[in-house]
Amino acid sequence: MRRRKGLVGVIVLLTLTLLLSACGNNNNGSNNTGDSSSGNAPANNDSQNAADGQPKDGGSLIIAVGADPVVLNPNYAGDRVSLTIDQALYAPLFQVDNGKKTFYLADSLELSADKLTYTLKLKDGLTWHDGEKLTADDVVFTIDKILDEKQNSFLRGNFIINGKPIQAVKVDDLTVEFKLPQVAPAFEATLVQVSPIPKHIFENEADIEKSTKNAAPVGSGAFKFKEYKTGEYVTLDRFDNYFGGKPHLDSITYRIAKDTNAANLALQNGEINVKYLDPQDVSTIQATNNFDIQPYSEGRLSYLLFNENSDRGALAKKEVRQALSYALNREELITTAYVSGDYADPAKSILASDNLYFDNDVPSFDNDAAKAKEMLQAAGASNLKLRFITSSGNKAQEAIALYVQQKLKEVGVTVEINALDASAYGTKFSDLKATDFELAAGGYIMGYDPDAYSILYTTGGDANYFHYSNKEVDALFQQGAAEGDATKRGEIYKKLQELAAEDAPVYPIAYTKTIVAIDKKYGGLDQAILKPVVIFEDPSKLYVK
Amino acid sequence: MRRLIIRRLLQTIPMIFFVSLVCFALVKAAPGDPVKTFLPPNIHQADIERIRHNLGLDQPAYVQYAKWLKESLSGNLGYSLVNHMPVTKQILDRLPATAGLMGAAIALAVLLAIPLGLAAGSNRNKWVDKLVNLFAYIGISVPLFWLAILFVYFFSIKMHWLPSLGMHTIGKKGAIDVIKHGILPCSVLAISFLSSYVRYIRSGTISQLKEDYVQIQYAFGSGKRTILFRHVMKHVLLPIITLLGMSMGELVTGAIVTETVFSWPGIGSLGMTAVRGLDYPVILGITLFSSLLLIIGNLLADILYGFADPRIKTTR
Repeated sequence: MRRRKGLVGVIVLLTLTLLLSACGNNNNGSNNTGDSSSGNAPANNDSQNAADGQPKDGGSLIIAVGADPVVLNPNYAGDRVSLTIDQALYAPLFQVDNGKKTFYLADSLELSADKLTYTLKLKDGLTWHDGEKLTADDVVFTIDKILDEKQNSFLRGNFIINGKPIQAVKVDDLTVEFKLPQVAPAFEATLVQVSPIPKHIFENEADIEKSTKNAAPVGSGAFKFKEYKTGEYVTLDRFDNYFGGKPHLDSITYRIAKDTNAANLALQNGEINVKYLDPQDVSTIQATNNFDIQPYSEGRLSYLLFNENSDRGALAKKEVRQALSYALNREELITTAYVSGDYADPAKSILASDNLYFDNDVPSFDNDAAKAKEMLQAAGASNLKLRFITSSGNKAQEAIALYVQQKLKEVGVTVEINALDASAYGTKFSDLKATDFELAAGGYIMGYDPDAYSILYTTGGDANYFHYSNKEVDALFQQGAAEGDATKRGEIYKKLQELAAEDAPVYPIAYTKTIVAIDKKYGGLDQAILKPVVIFEDPSKLYVK
Repeated sequence: MRRLIIRRLLQTIPMIFFVSLVCFALVKAAPGDPVKTFLPPNIHQADIERIRHNLGLDQPAYVQYAKWLKESLSGNLGYSLVNHMPVTKQILDRLPATAGLMGAAIALAVLLAIPLGLAAGSNRNKWVDKLVNLFAYIGISVPLFWLAILFVYFFSIKMHWLPSLGMHTIGKKGAIDVIKHGILPCSVLAISFLSSYVRYIRSGTISQLKEDYVQIQYAFGSGKRTILFRHVMKHVLLPIITLLGMSMGELVTGAIVTETVFSWPGIGSLGMTAVRGLDYPVILGITLFSSLLLIIGNLLADILYGFADPRIKTTR
């Protein structure tokens, strides 16, 4: 009996040590930066010695995505995952980076003298993945289907200008003319979003979105569809006839990894090669020394929303909004919400930093609590009580809300935080009739043309959640949309940004960055171009070092 | 017996109808708009209205339900609002992954729980009992996602024994590959089931050992082991049949947490996505499947009970 008791002790001790040591190791992995052996994937080491000069052919890449793609058809893709995969699967006509065009399927895009007709020339000898020719017919078909009311493409609104649709007309096999109802320089930014879909595949489908043919998509991009295992991964293989030259990699797999912590472990284990990182995870991944950590602008403005329409009427006065802005400190807010200034640039303009006419040299109200109090008093708005809605579980929003609550308390404003479930939050936030909150934290990605912002800031705009209204701004948006001359257009939007900044319909916080970790064994990142939402603009340029 | 089965099967029809109605009402009562959850936020109001109309979401809720019911009665559970794939196909695609994982985990848990529970119950307050109890308490109280991450960290990252996510190595097929991927999620689930099963069996054993028939067997000179395995076990396993019947529903709904951490392509993660997107056809489809299995599981359990315990059959 006594011996047995000893045995119990030994076993209990053993189990406890095992459990404890397991916990201890876990902590090491996430905090202690020195333990480099833990992150090394066994299979990855042999390639490290290879010469890093010339791109080599072969090899594969695994990119982590957070969910199943909704639909692998660019006319319907609105979610991040579908857009990412479609970028490799379907080539776009052209892309724009920092105002510079890169042509993909298109060879050129010319504007007529009256600025009402765009002539698009396709490259010669383009083919779909199944070998069929890609011609002007496909482009026209794609635009027609976007415009078709029975099809559920949400791009449609962009192809309607002042109630009239844009017309796409085939001139010859390689030429398409787009006829606009009025001068609209923003049309280029609309066309950027289009990747043609194959007419010969979808011609006879009544409802393209529901078509079973989306399950085995035929595209024109650098990689062609190979396999989709639902809930697991999508694999694409190299497309040898890619017009941009044969891609270096043999295949790209998009692996669905739903849990961020587990996915970070898989990244360290070599089961994933490319993954988005949250700012707080950067140091852990960096410590393994196996990854390129790349923060890049995602063309997004993160802002604090002032609901002018709230039933308490508190924020209808511009002076009150300015005063609240004075009470906050942008730098502090950025560190609170985004860990470090490395991952977000301070914002003053309502246009995001990727915009053609972006100008951050505008009035801003920041970090002056004394002035804030003074202005609130002058506006007769002392003892304000404001409601701040957040989407529960959204770390950045929660951090912003708590910070704002703290800072506004210092100027005598009470903030009550209401955390809502994600879809309830989304609905309330975007409900133009909602009057039961004053503050919220939001963000938007609107693309590089400023005209897209008109739905946010014109009186009664579809996405004017601030209920901002300034006749002058409305007029400037209308002028800007129809102004063909780039210099004049620039002046219009410069003035607009200044006016809007002065009115403070939002408190611009930051132009946030996306952070991706890319396994160091891959090269060609500069040519592949890191891009918001889709990660790589042209994955054909990636290679294994 | 046959009448019993038929009666029970007939009872399921109103039950399923009721379940679908309540479930639909709950989804509709939830704040949020399915269209807005899958469309990018910066699109034109007219596009939102048009798409909502095309999906029939602008009709009153009872019309939507009636439409869904009509379609379901013809055997087709409708299309997802988000990805527009048929719901039945989506569920069937993911059923093997979930059923396989849950089946294996439950089987493993039962097989381990029986000897452990019997050993603990028959050695009450001795070291075996204390050890088994300790493990059961740990198993019950440890959060699953934490245990899962711990397993991944230890067995995948440190030891490189097993893959950390998914069900297949990319491009590979075959049972061995699937089993290799399944070991970690299966063990995590088995630990959580095991812990509660063990406690049932242990307490069952303790109460059975006090029964008169055990004393009589002792009086007849039977050994402890014979009594335990030949007589006590039979009684102790009865509640386990009920437990198993109840877990039939889980065969379909799966273990959302475990499936998410291991990116296991099962129904749990499908359901999670559907709930987030207020995708009512998918939510209803999964609920129907799992309630149907739950009802069938309970029926089977009752029938088996009749065989295992003749006392019950006579009282019906």
